[in-house]
Amino acid sequence: MIKGKIIDHMSLIIMIFSYIIIWMLKTSFPEYSQMLTLLLYYIAIAQAYNIFLGMTGYVDFGYVSYFGLGLYGMALGVSYASQNNLSSSEAIILGMILSVILAGSVAGVVGGIALRLRGAFFAIATIGLSQALRYLIEGAKIWGGAEGIIIAKDLRKLFGEEGFSYATITLPDTGIFILAVATGIIMYLIRISRLGYGLLAIKEDEDAAKVFGVNTTLYKFVAFIISAVLTSLVGSMWTLKVTAIYPPESFNIAFSVEFIVIVMLGGGGTVLGPLIGASIYSLSKYYLGVYLPGLQLTVFSIILLLIVLLFRQGIVGELRSFLYKHEIVRKIIR
Amino acid sequence: MHLLEVNNVTKRFGGITALKNVSLYIDSGEKIAIIGPNGSGKTTLFNVINGVYIPEDGRIIYMGRDITKLSAHERAKLGIARAFQITRPFPGLSVRENVMIGALFGTLSEKINTREALKIADEMLKLVGLYNKRDELAIKLTGPERKLLELARALAMKPKILLLDEIVAGMPPAKVDEIVDLVKNVAERENIAVGVMVEHVIRAVIRFAERVYVLDRGEIVLSGKVEDVMRNPKLREIYLGTRFKGGV
Repeated sequence: MIKGKIIDHMSLIIMIFSYIIIWMLKTSFPEYSQMLTLLLYYIAIAQAYNIFLGMTGYVDFGYVSYFGLGLYGMALGVSYASQNNLSSSEAIILGMILSVILAGSVAGVVGGIALRLRGAFFAIATIGLSQALRYLIEGAKIWGGAEGIIIAKDLRKLFGEEGFSYATITLPDTGIFILAVATGIIMYLIRISRLGYGLLAIKEDEDAAKVFGVNTTLYKFVAFIISAVLTSLVGSMWTLKVTAIYPPESFNIAFSVEFIVIVMLGGGGTVLGPLIGASIYSLSKYYLGVYLPGLQLTVFSIILLLIVLLFRQGIVGELRSFLYKHEIVRKIIR
Repeated sequence: MHLLEVNNVTKRFGGITALKNVSLYIDSGEKIAIIGPNGSGKTTLFNVINGVYIPEDGRIIYMGRDITKLSAHERAKLGIARAFQITRPFPGLSVRENVMIGALFGTLSEKINTREALKIADEMLKLVGLYNKRDELAIKLTGPERKLLELARALAMKPKILLLDEIVAGMPPAKVDEIVDLVKNVAERENIAVGVMVEHVIRAVIRFAERVYVLDRGEIVLSGKVEDVMRNPKLREIYLGTRFKGGV
């Protein structure tokens, strides 16, 4: 019985085990530390996005906006804290709260309106969001306008000269690690809950889901908000790493596409998909950048095309379907 | 008080009136059939009852409550279940998960967790004879198996009223009898009212329903006990036209 239960949750165990390995690699090989942090960053966002894109099948091209709002939330929090002589921990907490509020409220408005649309229409409706936010910040000159927000000075003031590397390396790296684990667990719990089954039913056949009692509007909305808020927290940690943020990078639609590729490559709606997708994507991006600089996007556009044409369920999804007959495999690969 | 009452319902699609002043009722635990030729409005009627469409006119009263404006998912929770004519399993989920979703979001939805839903799903799968296939992906099932899955999923909702689109269409007569008996037994045991929609398989209706409504071009033209309606010459006219005077 106990053994059966462990096997039932095997995918979660594999996931957490992978994080421990990544963390150990990171501490043992400092030269790869930045690459592995980047990997965790992609995994965390992919898992957060999987809750929405993967489980409902709705493609959001404006998804980078929630990451960008997370970046801005932390930048605003840190600069406010430094101006008002708050403590360093107050600054970080304030930054995270602002990230969540900004992303949550924008996602609330966008979700409330756009989630009434289906499929391609939803995708089109979301395309403009990141651009709108970018030009709003630049045009209205809010939050530093086109000059962005530079928080290096504020971090030095808050954490002290000797605490600067803690604030820009140790803290965000640990934060991203914790977020990767947390989003993974949250995603897993959602997947096996009523909410998860409802979302999968929506993805499979939204009209039928409704007839079978799923409150589709509410479920999509809840998934959208959770997903956006988790991504904004990753953004808030990223701000501490880069210490300067600018509108064009923060709201670059290419990142939305990147996140979509990762989730779909790994397998939307699967538990291990984001981990696999992000690993393949970030490692190949890193090495393509070294060996075929400038051609990364061409290669990934071909990969995206192949996924859409041949492997719609992504690596984990296809593998699971292929090996579905075997009970053990079915329980492990989810 | 009737379990469900449809009062003078009219549903239009642009210039086409799909349902015109339709009224009917079902009592608790009763079995009725809606028959009529292709395009007579049977599917629209079911869609209006379970909330896929909101009618332009008329009211739908369920357990004494006006549900005309409620959405499909709210009606499902109140106990109105539906099995589709063109089966709509969730193809990428297993047979078991498909039925689980019925249990998770049906009338029991707030009262059970996923583990209990799984139990109900297994019960229903045993009932319809799909238990051995519980771990297959729904997309791998054959046509008749999908119909059984559709039935299991609807029953897992623990409904008070079950709307069966032509669930037996395209099945061999022996299988039809089997399914009809199955539905009849479950419905009697759990006191579920059943509305079944039939186009051609009149045999199934006779075995099953207590009362019949005949729809033609969006209107109810005949209704009553099965024997009476079947003997009514008007029924022949509806299916074969007025110029046909011979026997069937």
